[in-house]
Amino acid sequence: MITTMSLRDSLLDSAKEVFETMAFMALEEVREDQEAPRLEDETLLGTITFKGSLEGCLAICCGCRCARTIGANMLGADPDEPMSDDEMSDAIGEVANMVMGALKARVQNEVGTMEVSIPSVVRGRELRNSLGDRASKITVTVNLEEEHGMQFSLLYRESGD
Amino acid sequence: MGKSLMIVDDSATMRKIIMRTVRMSGLEFDRTEEAGSGVEALQKLESGPVDVILCDINMPEMNGTELVKKARELASCSGTKIVMVSTESAQDLIDQVMSDGADGYITKPFTPEKFQEKLAPLLN
Repeated sequence: MITTMSLRDSLLDSAKEVFETMAFMALEEVREDQEAPRLEDETLLGTITFKGSLEGCLAICCGCRCARTIGANMLGADPDEPMSDDEMSDAIGEVANMVMGALKARVQNEVGTMEVSIPSVVRGRELRNSLGDRASKITVTVNLEEEHGMQFSLLYRESGD
Repeated sequence: MGKSLMIVDDSATMRKIIMRTVRMSGLEFDRTEEAGSGVEALQKLESGPVDVILCDINMPEMNGTELVKKARELASCSGTKIVMVSTESAQDLIDQVMSDGADGYITKPFTPEKFQEKLAPLLN
Protein backbone atom coordinates (compact mmCIF):
# COMPACT_ATOMS: atom_id res chain seq x y z
CA MET A 1 0.00 0.00 0.00
CA ILE A 2 1.10 3.54 -0.72
CA THR A 3 2.82 5.38 2.13
CA THR A 4 1.57 8.54 3.81
CA MET A 5 4.75 10.36 2.78
CA SER A 6 4.32 9.35 -0.84
CA LEU A 7 0.68 10.51 -0.83
CA ARG A 8 1.69 13.78 0.79
CA ASP A 9 4.37 14.47 -1.81
CA SER A 10 1.99 13.54 -4.61
CA LEU A 11 -0.70 15.86 -3.21
CA LEU A 12 1.72 18.80 -3.05
CA ASP A 13 3.13 18.12 -6.53
CA SER A 14 -0.39 17.85 -7.95
CA ALA A 15 -1.44 21.15 -6.36
CA LYS A 16 1.68 22.89 -7.67
CA GLU A 17 1.09 21.55 -11.19
CA VAL A 18 -2.52 22.75 -11.26
CA PHE A 19 -1.79 26.21 -9.88
CA GLU A 20 1.23 26.81 -12.10
CA THR A 21 -0.50 25.57 -15.27
CA MET A 22 -4.06 26.82 -14.86
CA ALA A 23 -3.82 29.84 -12.54
CA PHE A 24 -0.23 30.93 -13.27
CA MET A 25 0.40 31.11 -9.52
CA ALA A 26 3.24 29.74 -7.43
CA LEU A 27 2.59 27.97 -4.17
CA GLU A 28 5.08 27.09 -1.47
CA GLU A 29 4.57 24.61 1.32
CA VAL A 30 4.62 26.02 4.83
CA ARG A 31 6.90 23.72 6.82
CA GLU A 32 6.14 22.68 10.38
CA ASP A 33 8.79 25.01 11.79
CA GLN A 34 7.29 27.99 9.94
CA GLU A 35 4.39 30.09 11.06
CA ALA A 36 1.27 29.05 9.18
CA PRO A 37 -0.58 31.86 7.39
CA ARG A 38 -3.95 32.57 8.94
CA LEU A 39 -6.95 31.67 6.83
CA GLU A 40 -9.57 34.37 6.43
CA ASP A 41 -12.62 34.04 8.70
CA GLU A 42 -14.97 33.22 5.86
CA THR A 43 -13.70 30.36 3.75
CA LEU A 44 -14.62 28.16 0.83
CA LEU A 45 -14.20 24.40 1.16
CA GLY A 46 -14.04 22.47 -2.10
CA THR A 47 -14.29 18.71 -1.75
CA ILE A 48 -14.22 15.72 -4.04
CA THR A 49 -14.60 12.10 -2.99
CA PHE A 50 -12.98 9.00 -4.41
CA LYS A 51 -13.48 5.28 -4.02
CA GLY A 52 -11.56 2.16 -4.94
CA SER A 53 -9.01 0.20 -2.90
CA LEU A 54 -8.38 3.59 -1.31
CA GLU A 55 -11.44 5.69 -0.49
CA GLY A 56 -11.82 9.15 0.94
CA CYS A 57 -12.04 12.83 0.25
CA LEU A 58 -9.72 15.52 -1.05
CA ALA A 59 -10.44 19.04 0.24
CA ILE A 60 -9.19 22.52 -0.56
CA CYS A 61 -9.84 25.32 1.89
CA CYS A 62 -9.10 29.00 1.32
CA GLY A 63 -10.50 32.41 2.14
CA CYS A 64 -12.94 34.20 -0.15
CA ARG A 65 -10.37 36.84 -1.15
CA CYS A 66 -7.95 34.07 -2.08
CA ALA A 67 -10.65 32.22 -4.04
CA ARG A 68 -11.47 35.41 -5.94
CA THR A 69 -7.80 35.84 -6.91
CA ILE A 70 -7.56 32.21 -8.05
CA GLY A 71 -10.75 32.54 -10.09
CA ALA A 72 -9.59 35.78 -11.71
CA ASN A 73 -6.23 34.26 -12.63
CA MET A 74 -7.85 31.17 -14.12
CA LEU A 75 -10.20 33.31 -16.20
CA GLY A 76 -7.59 35.90 -17.14
CA ALA A 77 -9.69 38.59 -15.47
CA ASP A 78 -8.66 41.59 -13.40
CA PRO A 79 -8.69 40.61 -9.67
CA ASP A 80 -10.64 43.80 -8.96
CA GLU A 81 -13.36 42.91 -11.47
CA PRO A 82 -16.59 41.80 -9.82
CA MET A 83 -16.94 38.02 -9.58
CA SER A 84 -20.15 36.32 -8.54
CA ASP A 85 -20.24 33.83 -5.66
CA ASP A 86 -21.16 31.13 -8.17
CA GLU A 87 -18.09 31.86 -10.31
CA MET A 88 -15.85 31.85 -7.24
CA SER A 89 -17.27 28.51 -6.04
CA ASP A 90 -17.09 27.05 -9.52
CA ALA A 91 -13.40 27.97 -9.77
CA ILE A 92 -12.58 26.30 -6.44
CA GLY A 93 -14.56 23.21 -7.46
CA GLU A 94 -12.57 23.00 -10.69
CA VAL A 95 -9.30 23.36 -8.78
CA ALA A 96 -10.36 20.50 -6.48
CA ASN A 97 -11.31 18.43 -9.53
CA MET A 98 -7.99 19.04 -11.29
CA VAL A 99 -5.85 18.46 -8.18
CA MET A 100 -7.72 15.17 -7.66
CA GLY A 101 -7.14 14.22 -11.29
CA ALA A 102 -3.44 15.03 -11.09
CA LEU A 103 -3.13 13.12 -7.80
CA LYS A 104 -4.93 10.13 -9.27
CA ALA A 105 -2.55 10.09 -12.24
CA ARG A 106 0.41 10.03 -9.84
CA VAL A 107 -0.81 7.25 -7.53
CA GLN A 108 -3.01 4.99 -9.64
CA ASN A 109 -0.16 2.57 -10.42
CA GLU A 110 0.11 1.89 -6.69
CA VAL A 111 -3.52 2.08 -5.56
CA GLY A 112 -5.35 0.95 -8.70
CA THR A 113 -8.54 2.35 -10.14
CA MET A 114 -10.08 5.32 -8.33
CA GLU A 115 -13.61 6.42 -9.11
CA VAL A 116 -13.98 10.15 -8.53
CA SER A 117 -17.13 12.17 -7.76
CA ILE A 118 -18.17 15.57 -9.06
CA PRO A 119 -16.76 18.34 -6.80
CA SER A 120 -18.86 20.32 -4.36
CA VAL A 121 -18.10 23.63 -2.66
CA VAL A 122 -19.49 25.13 0.54
CA ARG A 123 -18.90 28.55 2.07
CA GLY A 124 -18.76 29.30 5.77
CA ARG A 125 -16.64 29.67 8.90
CA GLU A 126 -14.37 27.06 10.50
CA LEU A 127 -15.25 24.43 7.90
CA ARG A 128 -13.80 20.94 8.43
CA ASN A 129 -14.14 17.67 6.57
CA SER A 130 -14.35 14.31 8.33
CA LEU A 131 -14.43 10.63 7.42
CA GLY A 132 -14.88 8.88 10.76
CA ASP A 133 -12.42 7.20 13.13
CA ARG A 134 -10.66 4.80 10.76
CA ALA A 135 -9.49 7.51 8.38
CA SER A 136 -5.98 8.90 8.05
CA LYS A 137 -5.51 12.57 7.31
CA ILE A 138 -2.80 14.45 5.46
CA THR A 139 -2.84 18.23 5.63
CA VAL A 140 -0.59 20.45 3.54
CA THR A 141 -0.59 24.19 4.26
CA VAL A 142 0.73 26.46 1.54
CA ASN A 143 1.43 30.08 0.82
CA LEU A 144 -0.03 31.16 -2.50
CA GLU A 145 2.00 33.89 -4.20
CA GLU A 146 3.35 34.69 -0.70
CA GLU A 147 0.04 36.42 -0.02
CA HIS A 148 -2.70 33.92 0.71
CA GLY A 149 -2.86 30.97 3.06
CA MET A 150 -4.48 27.81 1.76
CA GLN A 151 -4.92 24.23 2.93
CA PHE A 152 -5.07 20.97 1.02
CA SER A 153 -6.17 17.88 2.91
CA LEU A 154 -6.63 14.26 2.07
CA LEU A 155 -8.79 12.03 4.25
CA TYR A 156 -8.45 8.39 3.29
CA ARG A 157 -8.77 4.80 4.38
CA GLU A 158 -8.32 1.40 2.83
CA SER A 159 -11.60 0.12 1.50
CA GLY A 160 -13.17 -2.86 3.24
CA ASP A 161 -14.24 -4.29 -0.14
CA MET B 1 -15.45 28.54 -44.82
CA GLY B 2 -14.78 29.23 -41.11
CA LYS B 3 -14.73 26.56 -38.48
CA SER B 4 -17.14 26.17 -35.58
CA LEU B 5 -16.48 24.99 -32.04
CA MET B 6 -18.68 23.72 -29.22
CA ILE B 7 -17.43 23.46 -25.62
CA VAL B 8 -19.32 21.01 -23.40
CA ASP B 9 -18.65 21.17 -19.67
CA ASP B 10 -20.97 21.38 -16.66
CA SER B 11 -18.75 24.08 -15.15
CA ALA B 12 -19.34 27.55 -16.63
CA THR B 13 -15.94 28.59 -15.30
CA MET B 14 -14.21 25.71 -17.04
CA ARG B 15 -15.99 26.55 -20.30
CA LYS B 16 -14.59 30.09 -20.07
CA ILE B 17 -11.11 28.77 -19.24
CA ILE B 18 -11.18 26.41 -22.21
CA MET B 19 -12.37 29.21 -24.50
CA ARG B 20 -9.56 31.44 -23.27
CA THR B 21 -6.99 28.67 -23.74
CA VAL B 22 -8.20 28.00 -27.28
CA ARG B 23 -7.74 31.70 -28.08
CA MET B 24 -4.26 31.67 -26.47
CA SER B 25 -3.34 28.65 -28.60
CA GLY B 26 -3.74 30.74 -31.75
CA LEU B 27 -6.49 28.54 -33.18
CA GLU B 28 -9.32 30.51 -34.77
CA PHE B 29 -13.00 29.64 -34.91
CA ASP B 30 -15.64 31.76 -36.60
CA ARG B 31 -18.45 30.42 -34.46
CA THR B 32 -18.32 29.16 -30.89
CA GLU B 33 -21.04 27.86 -28.64
CA GLU B 34 -21.32 26.24 -25.24
CA ALA B 35 -23.37 23.52 -23.60
CA GLY B 36 -23.62 22.80 -19.88
CA SER B 37 -24.46 19.12 -20.25
CA GLY B 38 -24.44 16.26 -22.71
CA VAL B 39 -28.21 16.61 -23.09
CA GLU B 40 -27.97 20.29 -24.02
CA ALA B 41 -25.10 19.55 -26.42
CA LEU B 42 -27.12 16.87 -28.22
CA GLN B 43 -30.10 19.21 -28.58
CA LYS B 44 -27.85 21.85 -30.15
CA LEU B 45 -26.13 19.32 -32.41
CA GLU B 46 -29.48 18.05 -33.69
CA SER B 47 -30.32 21.53 -34.91
CA GLY B 48 -26.90 22.20 -36.43
CA PRO B 49 -23.54 20.44 -36.49
CA VAL B 50 -20.17 21.94 -35.54
CA ASP B 51 -16.67 21.17 -36.77
CA VAL B 52 -15.08 20.53 -33.36
CA ILE B 53 -16.46 19.57 -29.94
CA LEU B 54 -14.36 19.89 -26.80
CA CYS B 55 -16.09 17.71 -24.24
CA ASP B 56 -15.68 16.99 -20.53
CA ILE B 57 -16.25 13.41 -19.32
CA ASN B 58 -17.55 13.67 -15.76
CA MET B 59 -20.86 15.50 -16.07
CA PRO B 60 -24.27 14.96 -14.50
CA GLU B 61 -27.28 13.88 -16.60
CA MET B 62 -25.31 12.58 -19.58
CA ASN B 63 -21.55 12.12 -19.30
CA GLY B 64 -19.04 12.75 -22.07
CA THR B 65 -18.64 9.12 -23.13
CA GLU B 66 -22.41 8.79 -23.63
CA LEU B 67 -22.43 12.04 -25.60
CA VAL B 68 -19.71 10.75 -27.94
CA LYS B 69 -21.72 7.59 -28.68
CA LYS B 70 -24.96 9.52 -29.27
CA ALA B 71 -23.28 12.21 -31.38
CA ARG B 72 -21.80 9.50 -33.59
CA GLU B 73 -25.33 8.22 -34.26
CA LEU B 74 -26.28 11.62 -35.73
CA ALA B 75 -25.73 11.79 -39.48
CA SER B 76 -25.10 15.54 -39.17
CA CYS B 77 -22.09 14.88 -36.89
CA SER B 78 -20.32 12.39 -39.14
CA GLY B 79 -17.57 14.91 -39.89
CA THR B 80 -17.41 16.46 -36.42
CA LYS B 81 -14.14 16.05 -34.55
CA ILE B 82 -14.67 15.29 -30.87
CA VAL B 83 -11.85 15.88 -28.40
CA MET B 84 -12.31 14.94 -24.76
CA VAL B 85 -10.98 17.34 -22.10
CA SER B 86 -10.87 15.66 -18.73
CA THR B 87 -8.98 15.14 -15.47
CA GLU B 88 -9.30 11.38 -16.07
CA SER B 89 -5.96 9.99 -17.21
CA ALA B 90 -6.41 6.22 -16.95
CA GLN B 91 -5.25 4.69 -20.23
CA ASP B 92 -8.09 2.13 -20.34
CA LEU B 93 -10.65 4.95 -20.16
CA ILE B 94 -8.86 6.93 -22.88
CA ASP B 95 -8.74 3.80 -25.08
CA GLN B 96 -12.44 3.19 -24.46
CA VAL B 97 -13.58 6.71 -25.34
CA MET B 98 -11.37 6.74 -28.45
CA SER B 99 -12.90 3.46 -29.60
CA ASP B 100 -16.37 4.93 -28.90
CA GLY B 101 -15.66 7.64 -31.46
CA ALA B 102 -13.58 10.43 -29.92
CA ASP B 103 -10.80 11.85 -32.10
CA GLY B 104 -8.50 13.13 -29.38
CA TYR B 105 -7.92 13.48 -25.65
CA ILE B 106 -6.55 16.35 -23.58
CA THR B 107 -5.99 15.98 -19.83
CA LYS B 108 -6.58 18.78 -17.35
CA PRO B 109 -4.55 20.74 -16.34
CA PHE B 110 -3.74 21.83 -19.88
CA THR B 111 -1.76 24.49 -21.72
CA PRO B 112 -2.42 26.46 -24.94
CA GLU B 113 0.41 24.47 -26.53
CA LYS B 114 -1.44 21.22 -25.80
CA PHE B 115 -4.57 22.54 -27.52
CA GLN B 116 -2.51 23.59 -30.54
CA GLU B 117 -0.84 20.16 -30.68
CA LYS B 118 -4.09 18.18 -30.44
CA LEU B 119 -6.50 20.40 -32.39
CA ALA B 120 -4.49 21.84 -35.27
CA PRO B 121 -4.09 18.47 -37.09
CA LEU B 122 -7.86 17.90 -36.84
CA LEU B 123 -8.69 21.24 -38.44
CA ASN B 124 -6.77 20.63 -41.66
